[in-house]
Amino acid sequence: MTDFRIDIQKIQNDFTLLKLNGFLDAYTYSEFERIISDLFEKRQFRIIVDISNLNYISSAGAGVFIGAFAVAQENHGTIIVVKPQSSVKEVFDLLGLSQIFPIYDTVDDAMHSLT
Amino acid sequence: MTAGLSERLVLNSDLKHLNLVRKFVKRIISKAHLKLDDEHRIVLAADETLSNIIKHAYKFNRNGYIDLTVSIDNSKLQILLVHGGKHFDVSKLKNKTNDIEKRIRQGKKDGFGVFLILRIIDEIRYAYKNGQNYLTLIKYLPSKCCKKND
Repeated sequence: MTDFRIDIQKIQNDFTLLKLNGFLDAYTYSEFERIISDLFEKRQFRIIVDISNLNYISSAGAGVFIGAFAVAQENHGTIIVVKPQSSVKEVFDLLGLSQIFPIYDTVDDAMHSLT
Repeated sequence: MTAGLSERLVLNSDLKHLNLVRKFVKRIISKAHLKLDDEHRIVLAADETLSNIIKHAYKFNRNGYIDLTVSIDNSKLQILLVHGGKHFDVSKLKNKTNDIEKRIRQGKKDGFGVFLILRIIDEIRYAYKNGQNYLTLIKYLPSKCCKKND
């Protein structure tokens, strides 16, 4: 799975930063889904996802965000998206996700929104 | 480009080829001088269609084949996908795209690919002949497309 990589960084006790790199599609999305699922098992429901280095997303990748957002909200958490590239933002817009997900320009802005 | 342009790629039904297919489609449709957003959308529609064929028609069996032809003429861009999997007509899945906002709010993860394909592509044709599925995605081009010297 060289087309996609995730870096995980725990910023504070109660929220986690994920940095997505590369291409998130029907081939690579399961890695992202597994990491989200692991975080939920550890009761980490406040997640910042920096997608500034994500070059591409298809519906399979967007589906992980959609499923994760619903679970996070049920558990009083959230999924915050940081700096989508225009091609990725386009997919969010087509699906109407830009109105649902909090989207920030920087990780700092996203962190401030959580504190 | 009155005679048009057409290129073909045959691959097995493995999701690992998605990136290759995106690059292939992008390289050809870039000759239609579309806006970057439109180009990206068409690549996305091709990706979603291929993913759906592998998922629904081949049930993730990697031993199948998908024969992909991308063609451009003065009026349209056409992506033909021929495969030997189960009958699979994207346009018949329209009901899965109903009430997309509600599905998103409920955290449902599937059906969005078909929604995207139907939003992006102008016309979808499907036929089943001699044990093969012929799925054609058609995007009509703005009239200024495809200068003759391209």
